[in-house]
Amino acid sequence: MSLPPAECIYKRRWVPRPSSITGKSSRPNSETSTTANALPPVLGQSARTTDDDAKLIFGTVFSLRNMVRKLGGEDDSFVTYRTSQYKLHYYETPTNIKFVMLTDTKSPSMRVALQQIYINLYVEYVVKNPLSPVEHPGGVGVNNELFEESLEQFVTRVLS
Amino acid sequence: MTVFSLIIINKAGGLIYQREFQPGLRKLSTNDYLVLAGTFHGVHAITRSITPKLPVAAATTTASTPTSSNVPSTPGTPTPITPASTHSFPNPGVPATGLESLETDKFRLTCFQTLTGTKFLLFTDPMMTSIDTVISKIYELYSDYVMKNPFYQLEMPVRCEAFDRHLMGWLRGRT
Amino acid sequence: MTQPRHSAMLSISNTNPIPIANDKQQPPSTQIQNLASTGLRVPSNRKTIYDRHLNRTRNAELSRAGFAFLFAEMVTYAQRRVTGIQDLERRLNEQGYPLGLRLLDLLYYRTMSSSTSSSLSSSSTSAAPPNRPLRILPLLHLIHGPLWRLLFNRPADALEHSVSPDTPNEYMITDNDPLVNTYISVPKEMSMLNCAAFVAGIIEGVCDGCGFEAKVTAHNQPTEMWPGRTVFLVRFGESVMEREKVLERAGVK
Repeated sequence: MSLPPAECIYKRRWVPRPSSITGKSSRPNSETSTTANALPPVLGQSARTTDDDAKLIFGTVFSLRNMVRKLGGEDDSFVTYRTSQYKLHYYETPTNIKFVMLTDTKSPSMRVALQQIYINLYVEYVVKNPLSPVEHPGGVGVNNELFEESLEQFVTRVLS
Repeated sequence: MTVFSLIIINKAGGLIYQREFQPGLRKLSTNDYLVLAGTFHGVHAITRSITPKLPVAAATTTASTPTSSNVPSTPGTPTPITPASTHSFPNPGVPATGLESLETDKFRLTCFQTLTGTKFLLFTDPMMTSIDTVISKIYELYSDYVMKNPFYQLEMPVRCEAFDRHLMGWLRGRT
Repeated sequence: MTQPRHSAMLSISNTNPIPIANDKQQPPSTQIQNLASTGLRVPSNRKTIYDRHLNRTRNAELSRAGFAFLFAEMVTYAQRRVTGIQDLERRLNEQGYPLGLRLLDLLYYRTMSSSTSSSLSSSSTSAAPPNRPLRILPLLHLIHGPLWRLLFNRPADALEHSVSPDTPNEYMITDNDPLVNTYISVPKEMSMLNCAAFVAGIIEGVCDGCGFEAKVTAHNQPTEMWPGRTVFLVRFGESVMEREKVLERAGVK
């Protein structure tokens, strides 16, 4: 089995405000990543392992997506999974860009949110940006100010 | 309330049981089920290892943070907080597990891992409730009719007619 | 030199403890402590299991899981180096046989004391305790009822006599759901096997112990409702059948 070339083109991490005394914050602790052609995100380990985490998440999501298609049919899609510690939300665009978000276990479904990030933010500020390349090696073109800022706003204001 | 099928995976990732109760999912070949069990076994371990770690709040470790931040956190440490660690899990005090439940448009997969390492994968309708009851009953039947059967060899495929019979009977009784 | 075991028995049987173990006089309490340190546990009030009334544990329950695991190991053990299903059933039968012989005394004792509904001391004047079975039918009733209740806490489900004129010596005792088979699924390639051969061995032991030479085998007779239904086929020997005729003529019940 050969994996299509996949690269993490964007990742970002939010952590609970330091003011929250315990680690159990009610605000979603989210990590979002966008990937071209396959993707991965982020994780909160030391910098050394962040890239590995991105690969691991891509591998996980890729395997699960294939498994789901095998069992549920080609039109079925995997939405989310949960462990005792976190929840992973997944959204794949028709162009095979994969959006993955990790939240705490209490958060509701983020499918619509990921779709909005794609339509309202990614398409608007990355795809429509004339300076942005078609492919995004190393995240070039996604890392632009408009996208980052509006994502920040979306996550902190809309999702929290 | 619909239970589509059940898969049991032994501690080495081998498929030891697969049974369909109600149609709804596509049927796979025996070989595909074996591959699926192996894949899931691996993915399950990875989903645990990618548990996000939150930096411990700076306020509580003002003095120690600068020094300890250079210490690489041990990957795969199962318990959330040790005094020396600079990270904690999102749900401190709860051991990190692998994937417990997965949702798609068409089904929900619930994974229950016993303390002995066996995994029960239950495929149900996404709307179905009280899955825990079903899982624990299945575990009970497994402990009774598989583990107490002198003809069952540990870690080998489960071919116990009494287990099938009671499992089917119990599920039929619930619908 | 006296062995510690000997002195332990002395103290159990309530004889005055004579501390021979070491040639010094010791008060009784020290003696008991001494025994305890040798690994033999004797309660300080001298109440051992031998002092208990036999009927005290009659309604006591055993762990079904404990039994299931033990029996599973017995089957596994019997399976070592067997030549076939018949060989395996024979081994299970042999494991049950001595149990039947030994069980008989307890069975008699309990049937007796329960039928007189009083303790031993007062039974002398009340209705005569039942004799041991002399004819086949009382024996089979003893197995079908009291023995089954002693072993499984319920009577067996049916008792039949062979209808074929060729085999008047065959009787069948049916159990719809044998306790020993509760958790057992026999693999397809061994479908003839019935692990209740162990119970058949117990029945055989009881029959032999009563002086009825017999061969007992267990057979699967599943029905839709009772997938584990088992028939125990009891085949009495010729000597038993001849004696039966003599006793019948003599009018012995």
